[in-house]
Amino acid sequence: MKEFAYIRPKTMAEAVAARRQHGSRAVVMNGGTDIVIQLRERLIAPDYVIDIKGVPGLREIAYDPKEGLIVGACVTMNELGEHPDVAANYPWLAEAALSVGSKQVRNRATAVGNIVNASPLCDVGTPLYAANATLIIAGLMGEREVAIEDFITFVRKTTLGPEEVVKAIKVPPLRDARGIFSKVSRRSEVDLSSVCATVLKVGREFRLAFGAVAPTPVRLKATEALLNGQKLTEALIAEAAILAKTEVSPIDDIRASREYRLDVVGVIVKRSLSAWL
Amino acid sequence: MGYKHIGKSYARSDAVRKVTGDAVYINDMHLPRMLHAQCVRSPYAHAKILSVDISAAEQMSGVKAIITGDEYPNRAGLYLEDRYFMAKPGDTAKYLGEAVAAVAAETPEQAQAACDAIRVEYEELPAVFDAVEGMKPDAPLIHPDLKNYKVAPIFFPKPDTNISHHYVLRKGDFAQAAESADRVFEHKYYIPHVQHVPLEPHGCLAKYDADGKLTVWASCQSPYAVRQALSVAFDLPLNKIRVISQTVGGGFGAKAGTTLEGIVIPLAKKCKGRPVKLIYTREDEFINAYVRQGMHATIKTAMRADGKILGVHNTFVWDGGAYTEYGVNITKAGGWASAGPYDIDNVWTDSYCVYTNHPVGGPYRGFGMCEIHFAIEQNIDQIAKEMGLSEVEIRRLNGLRPGGFTGMGERLDVAGFQDCLEQVLADIEYDKPSEQISPTKIRAKGIAGGWKSPSMPTNAGSAAILRMNEDGTFFLMSSGQEIGQGAATVLPQIAAEVLSVPPDKITYISGDTDHTPYEWQTVASRTTYCAGNAAKLAAEDLADKLLDLAQIKMGAAKRDLKLEDGYIVHRIYPEKRLPMADFALGISFGDGSGYGGPAIGVGTFTLENNINTDKKTGIAKNHPAAFWTMGANGCEVEVDTQTGHIKVLKMVSCFDAGKVINPALFAAQSEGAMVQALGTALFEELKLKNGKVLNHSFVDYKIPTADDMPELVVKYVEHAEPTGPYGARGVGEPLMVPGAPAIANAVTNAIGVRFTRMPITPEDVLKALRGRKMDGKS
Repeated sequence: MKEFAYIRPKTMAEAVAARRQHGSRAVVMNGGTDIVIQLRERLIAPDYVIDIKGVPGLREIAYDPKEGLIVGACVTMNELGEHPDVAANYPWLAEAALSVGSKQVRNRATAVGNIVNASPLCDVGTPLYAANATLIIAGLMGEREVAIEDFITFVRKTTLGPEEVVKAIKVPPLRDARGIFSKVSRRSEVDLSSVCATVLKVGREFRLAFGAVAPTPVRLKATEALLNGQKLTEALIAEAAILAKTEVSPIDDIRASREYRLDVVGVIVKRSLSAWL
Repeated sequence: MGYKHIGKSYARSDAVRKVTGDAVYINDMHLPRMLHAQCVRSPYAHAKILSVDISAAEQMSGVKAIITGDEYPNRAGLYLEDRYFMAKPGDTAKYLGEAVAAVAAETPEQAQAACDAIRVEYEELPAVFDAVEGMKPDAPLIHPDLKNYKVAPIFFPKPDTNISHHYVLRKGDFAQAAESADRVFEHKYYIPHVQHVPLEPHGCLAKYDADGKLTVWASCQSPYAVRQALSVAFDLPLNKIRVISQTVGGGFGAKAGTTLEGIVIPLAKKCKGRPVKLIYTREDEFINAYVRQGMHATIKTAMRADGKILGVHNTFVWDGGAYTEYGVNITKAGGWASAGPYDIDNVWTDSYCVYTNHPVGGPYRGFGMCEIHFAIEQNIDQIAKEMGLSEVEIRRLNGLRPGGFTGMGERLDVAGFQDCLEQVLADIEYDKPSEQISPTKIRAKGIAGGWKSPSMPTNAGSAAILRMNEDGTFFLMSSGQEIGQGAATVLPQIAAEVLSVPPDKITYISGDTDHTPYEWQTVASRTTYCAGNAAKLAAEDLADKLLDLAQIKMGAAKRDLKLEDGYIVHRIYPEKRLPMADFALGISFGDGSGYGGPAIGVGTFTLENNINTDKKTGIAKNHPAAFWTMGANGCEVEVDTQTGHIKVLKMVSCFDAGKVINPALFAAQSEGAMVQALGTALFEELKLKNGKVLNHSFVDYKIPTADDMPELVVKYVEHAEPTGPYGARGVGEPLMVPGAPAIANAVTNAIGVRFTRMPITPEDVLKALRGRKMDGKS
């Protein structure tokens, strides 16, 4: 890999300033599990790497029944997945975090990094989409908050500004919620998703989020509308499974074909909803 | 028989060093003033190299030497000398990734930067990406000079084609068998390329001294074969090349033969005195080390109504890749064994090794057997189903028995196949249907048999030297490499049995061509057998010399003395005994004089009467194979009919090992083999598109993890091999052979669909279940 200057800011203001100073010649490094691979494969060749792990407070997880969950930018997948408040209140998010890579990778990889990397198959994407999570972003003018659906815009594209750094994820409190995270992959451990999904039932409302079936994670709004307020029956579930397939646009790639992914979307809808029959 | 050390599960002698990190691998070595090498590689699968411009790179900081293909005077290769170690200007690059230049510099980064500055002009050529297409007369020629290549006399390249070897076997008359048969079947299969995935990637470090001595540290299975190839390629005498292979982090065949060593040596020669190191990345491993060849199989089978196999006609087409110096012998091995462990009167086989513009094919655990048995063992199950017969009865009726004949017409006096088959049927409870736990997760069982012989030159040699220390401990020296299979534990155990001392008194030393004696190669499941025979002979030689001395010192006839628990003991008056250590430096007498000198034993082994087959018919004149190792696997799988995922619940194995020297190590080999077979059956495939490897890392090339481990049951039977040490025959590769077809047969038994291609992916299962067309799958 090409030589670069390593910058380790001590405050968020320093981090933002470094972003402003170096612009597109710099990348932000968090856990490094995506960045280091891109450096090694020479997909990126930055002059500066800004490591935000030295910024205090970014490692924190806070939960309040009224406010919901705050996940700091440097919280690792293992820290998120093993946190008692997360396991108790958002078990499907914990499961998603613990489905990423291997234990060693999860010790480095962060949930925020997973989102900022904006891969269509990011494993913590679908639980956060289903939970209507938001991102708290620090910039020159202070902080702003943006819905995750508005943050990820395309494959590896986000609305993060060149002078901004993501500070945390905010997950709203969910009352009377049950959820199921599913990951279908070639191998059951240490693999990328061929399809991943989170299906939530919040009161009488249904939320279906799928990954690896479109350029970004997606919510299946029409299927949700079909289900909302309804009593689940086998016939309704079968109808939902068919409708769900029309709301995704998977591609063929090395991991799976479009056809297989469509099949699996139907299977996940069916299996998830059937758990609540 | 009452052995003291044979058949005992001694702990691995290399375990502590490897677990603690004390073992030194190539990448652990940092020599003073060491340089780092990087390669420029062809971005085309087939291209003429018009020019290589190194002028800019030469000026760059840290750069000490740059080489191109012009550095290579001669082609080299194990059986067919068809490759330079680098594509030459004016000649062609024959696969995407082939080295066309290399740089040695002070740091890997400087070397890489210089590589980036080397300008290579290519002219892209039409390429061959399918072995069957490559056989056609109008296919682009990859090696136009094939007719001039030096080749071992048992291989038959076809000039002006891409066929580097056509193996022919004509036993009996298949046409006649087909005419008299009640049914004739034809089935086709395809086995894709896979990679070995050793834990340690290939690495090499070389140093060229001012006096012309070249020292090469390499992670390799066969230091002597590497030395030979380098000698031919660079016109160096053997006494000027020293190959050292101290620790090998897994080989599975990938580290047999010679790969990256040939790139490092000319760099080291140009940087006199400064060592040069090249370590492959994992990505290199998938592209630029050996891969297992792809193979297209067609089997025609002539059947009698009762299930007797009257004849088979096999056509195997191997996708050998850009160079087949080693692959030609896999093609031959596949032909030798093409009848499977069955006694069939009429066996016709054509096995073709075909050049393609794919990564270089080479030896992989099983050496063709995993590939052909994926076809042979599914063929039997398919025929059974189509004829309404039992697949078990077909195997019982046709399976080899003592006194039976192999496909090449050798008579086998020892053949444990039937015993292994029965053991496996019992352990998997094949007559009991699987218990079903869910309507969408279907369980079923499958079985498969398999066999293998070592595919080595009939005169391949092994040597061992046993040195006795003053205190009665020993050094056993051989070049049978410890590659994870247990050589460093098993070979001392064999010597310990002869000497009647605990194995921990014997330290094993291997892998240094200046010091440890000749070993053809650590391949072919031959080490326990060949190097084991040499170790046994060395121990017997040493024992004999000790007894010669003891008869003088003890005043007893040699025939009345024996070695027992570290002593030389009188057979009739056992109280008459002296420690063996007393004879370590010879014997001395009262007047101060001495006799005999330091004790050293020598053993050399070449199997006698191991004679090549008839050139025209492939028929055995005597015994072309040193031995045949045979056995069977059974398994139970669960198929998720909604997602297509296959879970292997249980695998059972039984092989005829002749004699198991170390049961714990045998079990480890057997378990590893089953899981490796599982990987190829369900996950592994090098995905190739226009010669490009699309999944050249663990992101998209999957091997089994601990989570995929089924319940594993290991059994063995022991019908002694007459020429083996204590009756042992090789097992390392054969153990893997039946695994993949057993899983494929079980999947078919679960869902009623036959998969004639590996791996069987969730996607394939779903497509098949929904009756969709298997596009792209042959």
